[in-house]
Amino acid sequence: MRTKLNGLLTLLLALVVHISFAQQKTVSGTVTDQGGLPLPGVNIVVEGTTTGTQTDFDGNYSIIASQGETLLFTYIGQKAVRKTVGAGGNVSVQMEEDAQALEEVVVTAQGIKREKKALGFAVSSVDEEDLESRSEGDVARVLSGKASGVQITAAGGMSGSATNVVVRGLSSFSGSNQALFVVDGVPFSSDTNAQDTNGGGSNFLTGNTGSSRFLDLDPNNIAKIEVLKGLAAATLYGSQGKNGVILITTKAGSAVGGKKKTEITVNQSYFVNEFASLPDYQDEYGNGFDQAFGWFFSNWGPSFEESGLSGWGRQSAIDENGTLEHPYSSTAVRATREAFPELQDTRYDWKPYDSVKDYFKPGSVSSTSVNINGASEDGNTTFNANFGYLDDESFIPGNGLTRANVSIGGRSKLSNKFTVSGAMNYSRTDYSSPPIAASEGNGTTGFSIFGNIYFTPRSVDLLGLPYQNPIDGSSVYYRNGNDIINPRWTANNAKYSQLTTRVFWNASVQYDINDNLNMTYRAGLDFYNERNEQYSNKGGVQFPSAIFGFLNTYDNNNTIWDHYLALNGNYDLSEKLGLTFNVGATSRSTTFDQSGVASTGQIVFDIQRHFNYSNQSPIQYSEKRNIAGLLGQVTLDYDNMLFFTASTRTDWVSNLTTENNSQTYPSASASFLPTAAWPGIKSEKGLNFLKLRAGLGQSATFPTAYPTVSVVEQNTQVYGEGAEVTTNQVAAFKANPDLKPELLSEFEVGFESKFFSNRVSLDFTYFDRTTKDLIVREPLSPSTGFTFTQSNVGKIEGDGIEIDLGVDWIRSDEPSGFNWNTRANFTKNKFIVTEQEQDIIIYAGSSTLSVGGNAAIKGEQLGVIVGDAIARDADGNFLVDDGGDYITTEVDIDGNVPVIGNPNPDYIMNIINSLSYKNWNLGFQISHTKGGDIVSNTIGTLLGRGLITETLDRENTYILPGVSQSTGEVNNKQINNSTYYFNNILFGPTELKVYDASVVRLQELSLGYTFPAKSLERTPFGSLTITAQGFNLWFDAYNTPEGANFDPNIQGAGVGNSQGFDFINGPSSRRYGVSIKATF
Amino acid sequence: MKKIIKYITVVFTAGVLLNSCETTDLDLRTSPNDLAADQADPNLLLNSIQLAYVANMYTINDIGSELTRIDYMLGRNYFNTYPGNTFDDIWERLYSSTDGNGDVFTSDVDLGIFPNVDNLKTIDAGSDTDYSFHIAVGQTLKAHMLLLLVDYLGKATLSEAGNPVEFPAPLLDDGQDVYTGALALLTEAEALFATDPATQGAEDFFYGGDTENWIKLINTIRLKAAITTGDTSTFNSIIAGGDYISETADDFQWQYGTRELQPDTRHPDFQDDYTSSGAGLYQNNWLMNNMFVKNDPRIRYYFYRQVGATPGAAGEPVDEELLACSLAVPPVHYDGYIYCSVPNGYWGRSHGNNEGTPPDGFQRTAVGVYPAGGRFDDSSFDVVGLGLGGGGGGIEPIFLASYVDFWQAEMATSAAAKATFLESAMTKSIAKVQSFGSLDSGADLSVAPSETEVTTYIDDIVADYLAATGDDQTNILSEQYWIALYGGGVEAYNYYRRTGFPTTLAPNWELNPGSFPRSFLYPQTEVITNSNVSQKSDLSTQVFWDTNPAGPAFPSAN
Repeated sequence: MRTKLNGLLTLLLALVVHISFAQQKTVSGTVTDQGGLPLPGVNIVVEGTTTGTQTDFDGNYSIIASQGETLLFTYIGQKAVRKTVGAGGNVSVQMEEDAQALEEVVVTAQGIKREKKALGFAVSSVDEEDLESRSEGDVARVLSGKASGVQITAAGGMSGSATNVVVRGLSSFSGSNQALFVVDGVPFSSDTNAQDTNGGGSNFLTGNTGSSRFLDLDPNNIAKIEVLKGLAAATLYGSQGKNGVILITTKAGSAVGGKKKTEITVNQSYFVNEFASLPDYQDEYGNGFDQAFGWFFSNWGPSFEESGLSGWGRQSAIDENGTLEHPYSSTAVRATREAFPELQDTRYDWKPYDSVKDYFKPGSVSSTSVNINGASEDGNTTFNANFGYLDDESFIPGNGLTRANVSIGGRSKLSNKFTVSGAMNYSRTDYSSPPIAASEGNGTTGFSIFGNIYFTPRSVDLLGLPYQNPIDGSSVYYRNGNDIINPRWTANNAKYSQLTTRVFWNASVQYDINDNLNMTYRAGLDFYNERNEQYSNKGGVQFPSAIFGFLNTYDNNNTIWDHYLALNGNYDLSEKLGLTFNVGATSRSTTFDQSGVASTGQIVFDIQRHFNYSNQSPIQYSEKRNIAGLLGQVTLDYDNMLFFTASTRTDWVSNLTTENNSQTYPSASASFLPTAAWPGIKSEKGLNFLKLRAGLGQSATFPTAYPTVSVVEQNTQVYGEGAEVTTNQVAAFKANPDLKPELLSEFEVGFESKFFSNRVSLDFTYFDRTTKDLIVREPLSPSTGFTFTQSNVGKIEGDGIEIDLGVDWIRSDEPSGFNWNTRANFTKNKFIVTEQEQDIIIYAGSSTLSVGGNAAIKGEQLGVIVGDAIARDADGNFLVDDGGDYITTEVDIDGNVPVIGNPNPDYIMNIINSLSYKNWNLGFQISHTKGGDIVSNTIGTLLGRGLITETLDRENTYILPGVSQSTGEVNNKQINNSTYYFNNILFGPTELKVYDASVVRLQELSLGYTFPAKSLERTPFGSLTITAQGFNLWFDAYNTPEGANFDPNIQGAGVGNSQGFDFINGPSSRRYGVSIKATF
Repeated sequence: MKKIIKYITVVFTAGVLLNSCETTDLDLRTSPNDLAADQADPNLLLNSIQLAYVANMYTINDIGSELTRIDYMLGRNYFNTYPGNTFDDIWERLYSSTDGNGDVFTSDVDLGIFPNVDNLKTIDAGSDTDYSFHIAVGQTLKAHMLLLLVDYLGKATLSEAGNPVEFPAPLLDDGQDVYTGALALLTEAEALFATDPATQGAEDFFYGGDTENWIKLINTIRLKAAITTGDTSTFNSIIAGGDYISETADDFQWQYGTRELQPDTRHPDFQDDYTSSGAGLYQNNWLMNNMFVKNDPRIRYYFYRQVGATPGAAGEPVDEELLACSLAVPPVHYDGYIYCSVPNGYWGRSHGNNEGTPPDGFQRTAVGVYPAGGRFDDSSFDVVGLGLGGGGGGIEPIFLASYVDFWQAEMATSAAAKATFLESAMTKSIAKVQSFGSLDSGADLSVAPSETEVTTYIDDIVADYLAATGDDQTNILSEQYWIALYGGGVEAYNYYRRTGFPTTLAPNWELNPGSFPRSFLYPQTEVITNSNVSQKSDLSTQVFWDTNPAGPAFPSAN
């Protein structure tokens, strides 16, 4: 019936056409892009007339025109197409990407939109297709490897763990180096509060399980991310922007004008989340030392073979059936024996158990996102609503994350020259984890689930042994004295959780004074409440907090108020010379307020309410800081080929004295397009486009907290049988009223180019940055009465390059042909400490050298790792003691603290490939980090405890290369394998735990299928795509011991300025699964 | 429409203005989270000073005891065992402040001495209230700390200390000058105490505000300085004055409590040893064996045995799992000494043993009821655990009357006079130790040595002393002094470097551990921040009063 009707209509149409030949008629058709997909919003005009229209959502249009007239099709990023109206009524067009695709518009500082070609600084853009349907709910991790110059490090493979985001390396070592997140034009708090209470500061060794607050963003709700890397780019953001800016435009905030039909997009993903870094445990030897059995931490015991030198047949504790007395029977702890009468005098098999593998059971990640956008009939009002739900269940027991997001935004152009827009985001993030803290391979340093799990001896059946005393609920484990906490007990009895409710809204109003001038006012409020609850039941071992039980509950309330008012102008001074300017004022007020209660001493087991604890103390801390700024920017453009921008900003901050509380920092940048100036140098098969740019930028860093006023600390419950003793203590911090902002300046040059019919694009940036008057947490000689202050000393200088290369290896002319595109980015930078008063400032990590720390040392790269080293004689030979072990030293031959590593990578490179054929597309991203050292306690422990395959050859003896300290002769003392690994690698000089952290990684792999439009005709779907994806599917840290399978992408000391440490922070995660995207 | 625009404009403007007061206030320099410098309470400052002092005393007592085999030292090589950070906390707590670090108080509360004394002086100068008592206590404790730093490090900062503006990198003063300066502080403190100032409500943890006792302490510290430097005339004149700690009732010590949590007031050794997963410390084999052989009446108070037999001891089977060295053949240099196993369940470790830790928490010998407030060893061979024995309510011995008697014995010129002081010292020491038995209410005190046994023991030792000659004689006195110093061994290290006795010390586990430390490295925390201080390259530097031969000729033990 339908076909018949169509036929009839055609007939009728033909008739009409015939009749109205040379008359005006209706021309219709479909506009598609290079790939054959419909292009909505294409402008179509009949040349020489005012008649015009736009394509609808399906790319269809119709327009009244006469035969012989020309239709002009234009669309951003596509070549204009002219078609003459012929006899037929159908004019369908396939548009091609424009050679000048760089004409794209990007959002720059303070939301000012600029043509990309006018920018004198580097900007990287990441689009929604690179962000949505990902298995990570953390936008920063999704961004990993997508843009040059951006370094993302995870605090571990835990779901919801914190993430370090650093752009262009460290510029400061006392202040934060974390990039600024700006969402829809308004700064967005990305703090990691490290769950510290009472302003305690992030304690290196107590670990941090808290999330970074950009976790509250749903990557599926992001339309675009722009990374402003340099200071010239970020000047207008003031001091906040000095670490680079991650500019996020949400779908709610991106609603642009124009007619479109309401569209609903649904994104549903399901991923498996599993243990990616399982060590290659050996299964030949079990628990003990020196091939003798014992319920030790170590795995240097007898073999699982009965015969042989190391066979269990020689062990008195193991009977002829290969069984031992059950550890809960032979234990010295009476309570354990009494609690397990059924296990008394039972036997326990001497065999390997896969405890670690079985402990980490795969979890799953499910993510749902629904997006609705649409516009009013006239296209002047647009809206967008987004709902997201993420349920990320980790493979680590007790760790998980759920997040719900709602965001609504819209924009309306009123008839009276006002444009108003606003977006409101609400999120509720519920994160929980077992306690995590740094561990060094000897039990654990802090209360942590990982410290004890990794070195579970092979013969210990973690999952088969009861972990809890059935009588009192206390932890039980295999050790004779029950002196290490059972990780299963920890997972079941201790929990750190954070429930974050966040409201983030912004509203702006623009008033067009005339065609050239407008006023903008924007206000943003970012408020979150982080409800922290941390507890452990009583009955643990090792840690007072676990032995007696504790409960902390507290709220962190953080409020950022941001106001921005600006006058923007746009004038053509002559035909070729244009001028735009912006002048404005801004204020930002940040208030952090923490309050709650800390309790210790649980009374009744397993009740986590404060009334059930013996002692209480308050948690209260607040901090408020205001920054006010004035800013201005002017841009001149000449004939679309030369652009010059100058900007300046002055900031005032509330926590410095009036003499020192302001800083002005101008910047300038220029860009020049030789291909526009001299079109002759362009050729289709050669150079297509070239842009040269240069920028000079400055910024300032202001200190946080209250550094100019000296204080006396007061603490209650310090001593006394009734906890009645309170102390007052003159603070070890020396206030510095002369403290002033630190000043950063940066120079960058670069080019952007396209070649060979736009098949190849190459962007290059070189930058050189200097930070002076560095605000340093300066350690003072304790004999002065103070141990540290904040002062302006020192200088860091550095430079780097960023390269982005794109190649279309195969570009098919057919819409469904084969296409292969590769994008690569490359980052390299190096920062040297060039001025410093102290010999050394250990600014991150620990000043205890057996642990190690990151130091600033004049003449060295910023962040070099210092720690205790192997002692050397004057000729550089290693010194060995009479036991045959290396001698540890805390001073090198010149009397300095030994530098044992450099955590800064030589370079970082990412290669992103996408291939498509017909409805299939395949993508993969390979990342390579070359160089950079890491102190790995995970590897040290796996080796030192005799767990992985590297330690198998243990019946021979070894001689360490070096000379004997006492005799000065070449060392000839034989030691066995366990002595080498245990005394030297694990408990010897920290230097022996330093590894090259180079790593190659298959970061992403995806295979997608898009259903052809035809097949969906009878379904409610407008489009339907199914993608199978995997993340972190494979990695190889090729310079670390193979058997450790160690993943060096780890921020061992938590988010901050530390680099190159692993404190058994936990395994890394591998995710794979399927996602479906459908539009209606 | 115009009205609406006006309305919107008004609302926005009002919003901006209202908010601007809040968000553009540019004077937010005062922290709401602490007291301002001038709000400090003098009584609470004094609390910090006293707590910082005892935290330091605990640590230095430990270090001194480890080196002299009163406590166990882990580490085959002295230089590695005592790296540059050994004195960091002590140094910071004296001159500035640092947190508890588990040294005494498990909390992370900052404590210090110098800046608080200075602050007290400032407050006193600007107040009508007399804070002389506070200042005097502060200066006394400060002086003792300075003397000890010189004893252990060789030099310390005094003339340029606590003045960051003028002296950002203070010089180290010579040991002799610091001694002189510290004695001057004592003079200043004595003058203040002499006026019998009111405590003004301050808590005096040591003497309850009794200024006479404080003056006795000052004189005792002077005695300590005099004996250390060999200043016989000063020593004798103070003794002649009689105003020093001569009775056990005057003992200068810190009283620990039994509270487990928030705050943990228990003796730190008790905290380590009386846990639900067994004992955490090792006791030194040399001291245990010495007391065992002598049948010293204090042995059941000092040590708590969890088992009755030690693997590898005469007649006992070895146990590779729990005591690895019980299997080993002692090296030649241990000839004549106990290498691994002290008999009868005295399960400890020898000096320097760096073996890994076996699961022996319920076998090894724990600290006893003196001075840590643990269990009295009534041969029940039970286990350690939370709250057992005295619950940790022991003491930190600092200056005991018995110690002063030993000093007098050292200074006395005739063997008879020395013997008299030896007898008196032992009597006071044993009596004090025995008085701790009652702390362990669950113990069977009937196995405690009787009065007669004690008297016999003392008489026998004194008789032995008088009968012996030469080094043997001095060894008897020295060993008794060291046994008495258990728990408070700070002076043992000084005594050993001063006299070289006892010559009976067990050797280090390692044949070549490096020469015996004659002073420690300067605190790394100071070295890396102070351009005027450079680190020593080894531990052989002798302090100003140590005029004995350089190592390895002296002292005899390695």
